[in-house]
Amino acid sequence: MDREQVIKALKDSGKWGHKYSLWAVYFCTGCGIIEIPPSITSRWDAERFGVIPVASPRQANLFLITGYVSVKTLRAIIRTYEQMGEPKYTVGFGSCPINGGMYWDSYNTIKKLDKYIPIDGWIAGCMPRPEAVFIAVTHLWTLIDKGMANAYKKYRKQYKYYRKNQEMALGKLEWPPLYPINEDE
Amino acid sequence: MKMNKKNLIQQLKLTFADTQLNEHEDDIIKIHAKKEQVKTILRYLKDNMYNHLALISCVDWINKEEFELIYILTSYHDDKKSYKETGDIYLKTKISRDNPEIESVISVFENAEPYEREIYELFGVKFSGHPRLIPLFLERDYEVPPFRKNFDTRKYVKDVFESIPVIPEEEE
Repeated sequence: MDREQVIKALKDSGKWGHKYSLWAVYFCTGCGIIEIPPSITSRWDAERFGVIPVASPRQANLFLITGYVSVKTLRAIIRTYEQMGEPKYTVGFGSCPINGGMYWDSYNTIKKLDKYIPIDGWIAGCMPRPEAVFIAVTHLWTLIDKGMANAYKKYRKQYKYYRKNQEMALGKLEWPPLYPINEDE
Repeated sequence: MKMNKKNLIQQLKLTFADTQLNEHEDDIIKIHAKKEQVKTILRYLKDNMYNHLALISCVDWINKEEFELIYILTSYHDDKKSYKETGDIYLKTKISRDNPEIESVISVFENAEPYEREIYELFGVKFSGHPRLIPLFLERDYEVPPFRKNFDTRKYVKDVFESIPVIPEEEE
């Protein structure tokens, strides 16, 4: 690390810490998870970028949604996302979470994931290669540096809209709201 | 008497007179049976070499107004030496589309249970005698079971998923 960066890191040490220790939830949705084992093992070695998979959402702050999201998976995604500690960053991986991809007319696949949980960035492609994961991670660094990776803040502010959409897709949810919802506003 | 394929075909023809049998070059015997006979034939086949139910599948023939159920049987019998000796059996039966109901075959092959549940939720075929006929995979309720040919997926997507609004941007 050169001298200029030392000063920058000390100035904003929180951001610096968040940037280089993006721990990802080991959560498998759809076919995209097939790209994750090669990314985290020796050939592409995601640990160079500070990305390691962790078993529990409570230790993680990066959520890679890898591939199509069925209605049943959405329930698990929301629960996992709400258990993660802040700051948390989400990245949609592959074309299916963006707009449905090849499942655009499927009866059982969620089409636009950002209607239900907030997304910081997307990786397009079917499938994206492991290199694309690292491009996304470096983009996420830039966003964190500029203070633009604040989807989790949006989730807190706009929670009543998210909750409403989640209930429209899944029916009544069996867990209580994460943040208080004021109906009067 | 030791059963082999030729014997079995002859026996089947004798025992179940009003079934239709075709033998194919690729080691497949196709049996077309009436829906009342399915259980009896399956039990007969299970006793004679074909002891494994590989799959139950369903086809929606909307123009003919009927569902076709296909039971695929293979053999894991001890006496069997090669696949060629037995091959597969496709047992096909047709049921009406208006009131699709057929007797469950769980008492013959226990592993039929998830297949029958799957066909029940995706095609709406009722299996009488099934111990718990509840949805297996699906979360939502569908008016028309989604694998039927008259299920309009595009209309469904438009009505359900596209009617969900986009999250508004935050006010600064």
